Amino acid sequence: MFRDHTFWMLIAVSFSPALSAPLPAAAPLHQQIDALIEAHPSFDASAADAADDATFLRRVYLDLAGCIPTAQQVREFLKDPSPDKRTHTIDALLASPQHATRMQYVLDELLMERRSGKHVAADQWRTFLRQSVLDNKPWDVLVREILSADGSQPETRPAAKFLLARELHRDEVTRDLGRIFLGRDLQCAQCHDHPTVDDYLQRHYFGLTAFITRSYLFKDPKTGITSIGEKAEGDVEFTSVFTSETAGTAPRMLDLPPLADPPAEKELYKVKRAKNVRGVPIYSRRLQLAEAMTDDANRAFRLNIANRMWAVMMGQGLVEPLDMMHEQNPPTHPQVLDLLAASLLEHGYDLRYLLRELALTQTYQRSSQARNAADHDDHPYSVARLKPLSPEQLAWSMMRATGIIDDEPVEDSSAAGPADAAIQKHVETFAKMFSTGGQSTRFDAAAEQALFLRNGNLIHSWLTAKDGLVTSLQPLDDAQLAEELYLQVFSRMPTEQETRRVADFLQSTSDRPLAIQQLTWAALVSTEFRFNH
Amino acid sequence: MRRNQGCSPVEHVLARRQFLAGSASAAVGACLSKPVQAHPLMQADSLKRSGKRILQIFLQGGVSQLESWDPKPGTKFGGPFRAIPTSVPGMHISELLPHTASRMHHLSIVRSINSKINDHRKGMLYMEKGRPTGDFPYLGSVASKYLAGPDAALPGYIHITTRGINDSTAAFLGAQHAQLKLEGVQPPSNLDLPQDLDEELDAQRESLRRQFDEPFAQHRSNAELDTYDAAFQQAALLMARKKIFEGSASEKDLSRYGTHDFARYCLLARTLLENGATCVKVTHHGYDSHAENFNFHLEQLGEFDKPFAMLMDDLSDRGMLENTLVLVCSEFGRTPKINTKYGRDHWGTAWSTVLGGCGVQSGAIIGSTNNEGTEVADREVDSGHLFHTYLRAVGLDSYAEHDLPGRSIPIGDPAAEEIGELLS
Repeated sequence: MFRDHTFWMLIAVSFSPALSAPLPAAAPLHQQIDALIEAHPSFDASAADAADDATFLRRVYLDLAGCIPTAQQVREFLKDPSPDKRTHTIDALLASPQHATRMQYVLDELLMERRSGKHVAADQWRTFLRQSVLDNKPWDVLVREILSADGSQPETRPAAKFLLARELHRDEVTRDLGRIFLGRDLQCAQCHDHPTVDDYLQRHYFGLTAFITRSYLFKDPKTGITSIGEKAEGDVEFTSVFTSETAGTAPRMLDLPPLADPPAEKELYKVKRAKNVRGVPIYSRRLQLAEAMTDDANRAFRLNIANRMWAVMMGQGLVEPLDMMHEQNPPTHPQVLDLLAASLLEHGYDLRYLLRELALTQTYQRSSQARNAADHDDHPYSVARLKPLSPEQLAWSMMRATGIIDDEPVEDSSAAGPADAAIQKHVETFAKMFSTGGQSTRFDAAAEQALFLRNGNLIHSWLTAKDGLVTSLQPLDDAQLAEELYLQVFSRMPTEQETRRVADFLQSTSDRPLAIQQLTWAALVSTEFRFNH
Repeated sequence: MRRNQGCSPVEHVLARRQFLAGSASAAVGACLSKPVQAHPLMQADSLKRSGKRILQIFLQGGVSQLESWDPKPGTKFGGPFRAIPTSVPGMHISELLPHTASRMHHLSIVRSINSKINDHRKGMLYMEKGRPTGDFPYLGSVASKYLAGPDAALPGYIHITTRGINDSTAAFLGAQHAQLKLEGVQPPSNLDLPQDLDEELDAQRESLRRQFDEPFAQHRSNAELDTYDAAFQQAALLMARKKIFEGSASEKDLSRYGTHDFARYCLLARTLLENGATCVKVTHHGYDSHAENFNFHLEQLGEFDKPFAMLMDDLSDRGMLENTLVLVCSEFGRTPKINTKYGRDHWGTAWSTVLGGCGVQSGAIIGSTNNEGTEVADREVDSGHLFHTYLRAVGLDSYAEHDLPGRSIPIGDPAAEEIGELLS
């Protein structure tokens, strides 16, 4: 035993970079990313400038805290002369409770794709996610919890939502394990090896299925609570519809070695499966899934989350679509993706670290406005992409802009009063109206949404609220009003021309209060507001 | 194991070739070979100008084929109702559909569907998406995408129903092609301006909105900004055509169609189709007759029959049938075996559907079931074949692919093909 240990220690040491070459101390991740992006042949030498302070502030508030800044925060940031104010802001936002709320939404959308879940109540799941972000729980730990919880224990029950809400449907869970955790939609490989995607094989699909095929939903007859039981036996077999060849597979994570069951013992069960008794095997394939998925050997696992976090911040994945990673659909910037994945491993899957580094890049902080009208789609990351506000970002930001909420959005159910409950309801209204399913970088708009923005009672009530923005603009003169409107809604100062336009419009109407309401509405539903730019 | 549906036809053509190369079975080869194209299919632009439309009537719950399109009177499972002759010589349907019977010369029956699905939702999704599983757009969303022109006067896909969850009907085609769901004859939500605004003020704030958008668009990629603006324009169209949704039916129409809800939905469907909707779906609920199947169908089809027949008359008289594909579908049929509660249960094994208009061969009967209706006897098809047939009838190449960034997805199920006889 001791000898083995020493042997592995030696191997590990001989591979450590410190001994292989005397490299200079590595630059911070964000600098390495920028260097790779800018060295890429597709990078346009006339790339956009860095976004100005106000644009940066709005962008980083939305991405890290889920809501636009207040007018006051914009003013203070613009006044702040310190050279590292951007870094300070990023750090402050990442440490804020609003960040936990923001990431709760991001992770919920990523993991549950806006399913209306059964079995585990939505607020328990939210609290679980939010607390996980507050604790800065590493991604691998979170996923291990999600895949190993069987729902039988109250303290781990929320984590079981991923499997329970999918009713443990074999194909649905298999597909989502591939898509959500490995960035690979293996659906095509369900019935045959993918004919053109060489690396999506039927054994990959069924290798994942084999982890969960013994698990089943168990409804306790006394409590009526559904949890996950597991059998100690059962294998998967699959037949190609093209070749009619039949094969079996042990659980496996893509091309990693299959995990054979241990030699059968006399006793297979901790708790023997019976009618009205939830089976618990001694050897659980589902627990193996949690381990194998998050194991350091499973590179696809970290490439996926690196790509997805990149997409959250940059508005597009290095691999698009996010769930189509394979040889023939390579990342636009393979070295960047490798670097992100390696950094995640090195930093113990610390997502907060990754988000911080991404926010610090010049790539992230670039303006979304090109220097000239050229076609910038061919030059990714030379210009920042427009990111549509998520339904939650849109709801919170509209409430902040209209003065419905003036303090920080906090979603802490323990402290929630009646007012918070109303706000929560508004957020859900937006989620229903604007959601697009799972994590996606696509932008969508529908007539129903436009009708909601044009004529809906909710928006209208915000515009006419007694202590809202429109009321507070009434006593101001034209120039002050323009400034306040732009700060509140667009999180920036108006240009001279914009101030003049506001004044011209106000002068042209006889009903000033109504005109202010019109202006505020138009700003609120403008493209500048709809996108994180 | 059912073959999965997410793959592109190029892949399957390739794979089929490999497969056929190694296969000695001529029969399998024949069934996989691509059928001869019945229609010249149109290019995208001319397709959008073609004015082709779809009227889809969905009998939710699973209408009994034995009490409708494939009666078997006097047989073991035939039930109490007779078969009656129709306007097509030799074609008989259930006596529960007397009005429809005299319009069957506009329609054809497919009597040989084996969709192998006995679950309401999955059966409905298979019918709508033409695939047994997977994330694909509904028929109406596909129609909206490829048939509705950019200047269409109404949203491309409108669904009149009183129940049902909000489905993601458009999948990857985008929200502008998702169904606009109407709660019966209620107009869409938020069609009315806020009380303190009139049309002039509304136009003013729209102009302000565009003023804000204009500088923002400069030096920015415009596709997403245009999508956003297009939704506002669509909303404006709906608001401008509010009367369509509010116009109550005339006495004359009501006396012909009937005064119950389904009759009113059929009248609204007619109005919508006349006013530029591309696909209108009307759901008629209540066919899930696990008990008292015969009483239920007497009542349900009694409600369906007349307004449907009147709608066929009107589409025909107004010259719309040439360009309107009419579908009467369900998620599955009902078991031949009558259960102990005089009900029939879910049955995906051998059931029927009806279609017509838009150049579809009329008066035809495709396929058959055996004497007791327990199996398909001839020309077995599934919902994938129907989906191809529908799309090709409106001039769309169902073997083409949805062209999406990063992947292309075949429009119809590559494992299925159209029912060519109906399209010749």
